[in-house]
Amino acid sequence: MKRLAGLLSAAIRAGRGRVLPLILLLAALMLLHGIERTPLLSVRETLFDQYQRHMPRARDSEPVIVVGIDSQSLVAHGQWPWPRDLLARLITRIQAGNPLALGIDIVFAEADRYSPELLSSRLPNLSPDTVASLPDPDRLLARTLAAQPTALAVIGLSKALPGSVQPARPLPAFQGSQGLENRLPQYVGALASRPLLEKAAAGEGLINGSPGLTQAEPERGVLRSVPTLAYINQLPFLSLPLEMVRLALGDGAVAVDSDAHGMTGIRIGDYRLPTGPNGALLLHFGQASSNYYLSAADVLAGVHPPEMFKGRFVIVGFNSTGLQDRIVTPLGDSLPGIDIHAQVIESLLGGNALRRPAWMPLLEMAALLLAGLLLIATIPALPPRYALATFVVLGLQLVSTGYLAFAKGLWLYDGLTPVLLLTPVFILLLANTLIAADRQRRMAELALQNSREEQARAQGELNAARRIQMGLLPEPARRFTGETRFSVAALLEPAQTVGGDYYDCFLLDGQRLCLAIGDVAGKGVPASLFMAMSITLTGMLARRQPDLANAVRELEQELSRQNAESLFVTAFITVLDLASGRLEYVCAGHDAPLLLRDGQVSRLDTDAIGGPPLCAAGDFPYETGNMQLLPGDRLCLFTDGVTEASNGRELFGISRLQATLQASIKAAPQQAVAALRDAVRAFEAGQAPADDLTVLLFEWHGEKISER
Amino acid sequence: MMNLPTREQAGVLIVSVSGRIDHTASEEFTNSLEPLLDRCVQGEPPVLLDFAGVDYISSAGLRVLMMASRRAKAQQGIFAIAALQPLVQEVFAISRFNLIVPCYVSVDTACKVLGA
Repeated sequence: MKRLAGLLSAAIRAGRGRVLPLILLLAALMLLHGIERTPLLSVRETLFDQYQRHMPRARDSEPVIVVGIDSQSLVAHGQWPWPRDLLARLITRIQAGNPLALGIDIVFAEADRYSPELLSSRLPNLSPDTVASLPDPDRLLARTLAAQPTALAVIGLSKALPGSVQPARPLPAFQGSQGLENRLPQYVGALASRPLLEKAAAGEGLINGSPGLTQAEPERGVLRSVPTLAYINQLPFLSLPLEMVRLALGDGAVAVDSDAHGMTGIRIGDYRLPTGPNGALLLHFGQASSNYYLSAADVLAGVHPPEMFKGRFVIVGFNSTGLQDRIVTPLGDSLPGIDIHAQVIESLLGGNALRRPAWMPLLEMAALLLAGLLLIATIPALPPRYALATFVVLGLQLVSTGYLAFAKGLWLYDGLTPVLLLTPVFILLLANTLIAADRQRRMAELALQNSREEQARAQGELNAARRIQMGLLPEPARRFTGETRFSVAALLEPAQTVGGDYYDCFLLDGQRLCLAIGDVAGKGVPASLFMAMSITLTGMLARRQPDLANAVRELEQELSRQNAESLFVTAFITVLDLASGRLEYVCAGHDAPLLLRDGQVSRLDTDAIGGPPLCAAGDFPYETGNMQLLPGDRLCLFTDGVTEASNGRELFGISRLQATLQASIKAAPQQAVAALRDAVRAFEAGQAPADDLTVLLFEWHGEKISER
Repeated sequence: MMNLPTREQAGVLIVSVSGRIDHTASEEFTNSLEPLLDRCVQGEPPVLLDFAGVDYISSAGLRVLMMASRRAKAQQGIFAIAALQPLVQEVFAISRFNLIVPCYVSVDTACKVLGA
């Protein structure tokens, strides 16, 4: 399972996550190309139906009237088939109103039941005279039909059935283009009306539905297109509604437009309709309405004034449960087939039909390809949120383009299928983005963890360094308990990160006291170890070497011996004869200590004898300075942690140090040191100290006090 | 990296240093100085750091100078500092760093001495 997931994720990431989506895009293009054989076709047709539902054809004028033989008519005039003299009466009623053209959506293939021939064969007792005197309903109907331009229905048959004939009234004077026949529906025969009636009618029109209807959409049976022109044995016939228009125009000229793919449109007189290559008209349906339906019974009864038919197309046909063929339209209406004829006439007169030329599928494929490439180019570079937004916007754009094309020009452009086909491409791309983001997050977490560990390690190192440093510092109060000749107080407050300060104070023998302060340049364990070495070696060498200067020189030599890090240390080391108050000192690059005498503060003079920090020059000939302390004198040894303490704008400085010491001159050294520390911290006002703060305050009480 | 503009005057390579050279800046200072020290060898122009723009130097900064000076000395090149601000001058005085690195009052003075 894990291996499978690994393989999958490797495949998704191949070629920076673009190889697999490209392959999918190609597959999508192939699917779109062969959409007729996929379930996607029904998605597309549903979309096209949706266009029509949202934007149905406006039916503002009603050029067509349907005279329906409905249940009311059957009740009034008996079962179908009606005698043809009754039909002749109906037609006469209509003709009284002078309609533009009349179409009859009924095929009169056999003789009327009341024709004299049929009657004489059924009633052999009738005398020939009687038979001869009987009216022939077919003749009556034929006479009626001949009175005004009327089109009769024909049903094309693809197989020669019993009773199939060749209809007699093909489209006259029609010149189809070369090879057009093969693109259009072809029938070997037809069901047509009796020759007598055919002759009387002005024309005949096909009433077949779309030839593809039953094969392509058996389950839905939605009628989307109707043929305009078809051939029966090489003879051209218009569909019934178009034939009616042609008749109304007084034998209007019929022509077709065509290109390499087949038909593109049909012209009748000045009217034109775009068609598909097979001559099929993609109907733009309007909302069904019962306004233009009249009952045949009402027309026969003279309920409607004849003027109603004036200047209109009239179609006579069935509109009754049991007799009619019902058709489902893209709008979801179930209409009698006769309604389609009415809609076709309206479409032709309004010149509007849906358009889906042969290049439309190519356009859709181009859109799919472009959108796919755009996704592949942009998604991997976008964060997941924007990636999703991009896809949604692109999808909406494609779908709305379809709606817009329909609204503006009745173009049937499928924007939905490309979006559906792009979805897997997008999912793959997004998966790659998410995988990459996840990996990045993990790496960031790892880095964070590493840096935390690093920090902890460094912190640990600093802590260790700090412990080394603090552990080596003496506590003067404890070390010199009961001492009366002098008092010492010291304080070292480490800074957060940097610092290698130290101080020391110890008796060399019964009457010599050594004081030392130092500052190692550096931080961390190396600086601490260096500080430890310094403090240890200082003590050792000061005890061993009677001459202080020599001791310091030796100290530098020893320290330099093990100084791989090129560290150096500033130091001030002094030895005091507790009996005489004689002070000897060496200064190695350190701040000169302050002397407090009689309330005055001065710097100890180190200019003449001062040298560079230990280990800075290597073998500097340090020299000793001397001075005489007076009883009550105080010495303040400090590091730059005091004078260079900063409040962000300026440094604490030597003068503030002097003032602070002066202010606490009466206090015991312990308190004076604390007061100095507080003064520095107050000055810093919350700024983190940059360096260790170290102070050592020493007071010599003198011989007199010690004798007491 | 610390920005160290250089110019040549009287056969001396003058490097303008500026800002605070405290503990944090000292590492950058070391790195920026590195390529200049590569050129500070015998026969090449002396390297003079113009410290006029330096407001503060900590012991870590001093250590960088000490090591630079040591390296120059090992390569028999000449390395010096000039034009120290009073505060920096004080640090140098206390730590006696003028004993470690030659210090001059001004760039011109330094050039007169070094540029011969």
